[in-house]
Amino acid sequence: MGSDICKREPHTGGESSGPSRRVDLAAREATRVGMLMVAPAVIITAALVIYPLATGFETSLRSGDTAVGGQPRFVGLGNYGDVLSSSTGRDAIAHTLVYVALAVTLELALGLIVAVALHRVFRGRGIVLAILILPWALPSVVSGVLWRRVFDPDSGLLNSMLAQLHLVSHPHVWLASRGWALVFITLVHVWGVLPLVSLILIAGLQSIPDEVYSASAVDGATPLRQFRYITLPLLGPSIAVALTVGTVWAIKIFDEIYVLNGTALNTRSILMEVYNTTFVNADFVHGTAFAFILTVVTVLFAAIYAVALGRSRT
Amino acid sequence: MKRAKRGVVSTVACAAVLIIAACGSGRSSGFAPRNKVSIQGQEINVLLPYKVPGRLLAEFTRESGVKVSVNVTSWDAVRSKLVVANTAKTYVADVTEFDWSFTGQFAAAGWYEPVEKVLDPALVADLSQADAAFNAGGHTYAACYSNDYRLSLYNAKMFTAAGLSEFPKTFAELGPAMTKLKASGVDYPLGIPMGATEGGVTPWYLLTLALGGQLFDKDFKPLFADPGSAGYRALQFEVEALKNGWVSPGSVTLDNRPAFDKFAAGSSAILFASSPGNLSTANDLKESSIAPNAKPALVPGARGPGTTFGLPEGLAIPVTAKHKDAARAFIEWWMRPATLRVLYTEAGMLPCRSSVVTSMANSGELAGGTVLSDELGHVVPLFPQGAPKWYSQFSSTAQGLVNAAVKGDMSVEAALKQLAAKATELAGS
Repeated sequence: MGSDICKREPHTGGESSGPSRRVDLAAREATRVGMLMVAPAVIITAALVIYPLATGFETSLRSGDTAVGGQPRFVGLGNYGDVLSSSTGRDAIAHTLVYVALAVTLELALGLIVAVALHRVFRGRGIVLAILILPWALPSVVSGVLWRRVFDPDSGLLNSMLAQLHLVSHPHVWLASRGWALVFITLVHVWGVLPLVSLILIAGLQSIPDEVYSASAVDGATPLRQFRYITLPLLGPSIAVALTVGTVWAIKIFDEIYVLNGTALNTRSILMEVYNTTFVNADFVHGTAFAFILTVVTVLFAAIYAVALGRSRT
Repeated sequence: MKRAKRGVVSTVACAAVLIIAACGSGRSSGFAPRNKVSIQGQEINVLLPYKVPGRLLAEFTRESGVKVSVNVTSWDAVRSKLVVANTAKTYVADVTEFDWSFTGQFAAAGWYEPVEKVLDPALVADLSQADAAFNAGGHTYAACYSNDYRLSLYNAKMFTAAGLSEFPKTFAELGPAMTKLKASGVDYPLGIPMGATEGGVTPWYLLTLALGGQLFDKDFKPLFADPGSAGYRALQFEVEALKNGWVSPGSVTLDNRPAFDKFAAGSSAILFASSPGNLSTANDLKESSIAPNAKPALVPGARGPGTTFGLPEGLAIPVTAKHKDAARAFIEWWMRPATLRVLYTEAGMLPCRSSVVTSMANSGELAGGTVLSDELGHVVPLFPQGAPKWYSQFSSTAQGLVNAAVKGDMSVEAALKQLAAKATELAGS
């Protein structure tokens, strides 16, 4: 119906003919019905997403901490400047970038290995897939608690094992130094997200026709060249999706850090800083400003991947 | 037509005047006179960080006809819930936790009903000493239910095995005691949580007071950045305790509850900063492997027992509560001597009512005997001038910086300078 409407001749005025008027009426009716159909979704989205976003943005432009009885006033982008210039804010951004870079790299590399290994049909593949999905099925707080038992300096599994192997003589505090703490927290995060990334890539691999590989084998392509020139390019869309999912999850990392290292300064992410500013300090204006910065960064990453995906398709 | 218009205008004006009058008549208390209200059949929600024995709640329901649902949430989460709900002016519960540290901020925001005119005057008078921590702007915002303060606990069996007959009274005596305990086989004798949490920063506050200092002067000028100050020496003590192997390396990630668990499991011989309520748990055979060897001790000081500070917790009624009269009845029932006694024996909550504490001390019901009441004599408020409205921001900054210093990410000097700068900024805002 839509194409009929598009193809019809433009109305030039004068007396309208019978069929043309019928088309007009039908088009109007279709538009009305269409608007009516999408109205609930638009209203719900506006109420639950756009209104809070707009209110939140307006809050981030005001000063005056109403939570302690202050009077709000307009300060423009002042709150954004404050959070970006604070040392804890800058550290949180740096930590988040490290989490994202490490997590996405590891997830993609390990995800590809897992996907290629599990793409082949073998006995017990179903069981392996079921086990693979387990860490993803666990809530991140639960996996954080499990890993805390591993990293606990006094009675943790890791120190006990190393002590039994005579590799350490006294307990090592794994989450004390900034560098190692960031690495260990990222590993716990990757442990949880890797199954999802692997499944996305497995689905991508299964969509590549076997004939392509057969034809290339006839042409003398080695498995490595097949991977480089067939698998990777054809897996592009799946990789883009996996990158987007991995990046968004890494940007909003919170539970693992909170459970493993509390609000320690050496591992705080942006989202943790947002939580601390907003709910612990009850400083809603700065907390909301920081949350908007996080939103913009997330959208930016998603847009970059979307553009890259579009280019790879063309 | 004109007359009709005039009528509409005057009706709207009258309505506006009525609304303005209703709004401007001060905060509406929402409490009915006691003899004119029926709370029978109401259901109230209570938000607390601790469990309340179910049989006690059933008793209240039988007596008052009010059903009680207690939502037990961790202390930090309780605070977050209160901040979010009250900022949004939405209902969170009819009775909630009200920590001493909430007073400045929550009172300034007007989130809670003053209780001094609502509760029974005799009860208010009996609570007045403990409730001083909840006073702001001429009002009292909570009824104290947990007379929490900090004292030390030690494992008497480990002390005897190490040849120690008594708990150190000064920091000078603490060093040799640590050496003897380590020699007797206790790897890390001193339990001090140092994680980036409220429970992890409390020992630094306590050490500052025990070393004879204060965090701020009367004008909220920070006193801890100077290397000779008690606050500076307190943080230096924590760092040294880690270096000397008195405290386990893992303490830098510990909150107060896991630190107590390690003490109760026999991993440490001393819990430096403990709530008095922990004593009964540490001597409970079902919950502790060191029972019945846990003993209370006065916090050591520079020249004798040191100063400690109170962390009282109260019950309060938010302005958004739905059943304020039932909430009042619940608080008054909670504060009855019989209820307070059960809460002490079964939940470790030391009562705040002066008459009840005196009566329990005289009848020998207080675990730890005279030490608990002796320590009460050394209790001072952390902020003698009242908790400032920016306490939570100060504390959250302190948690991160003190933790960074004990981990060695920052020097003591740098951490305390940064904290002092933040405190000065907050006090001036």
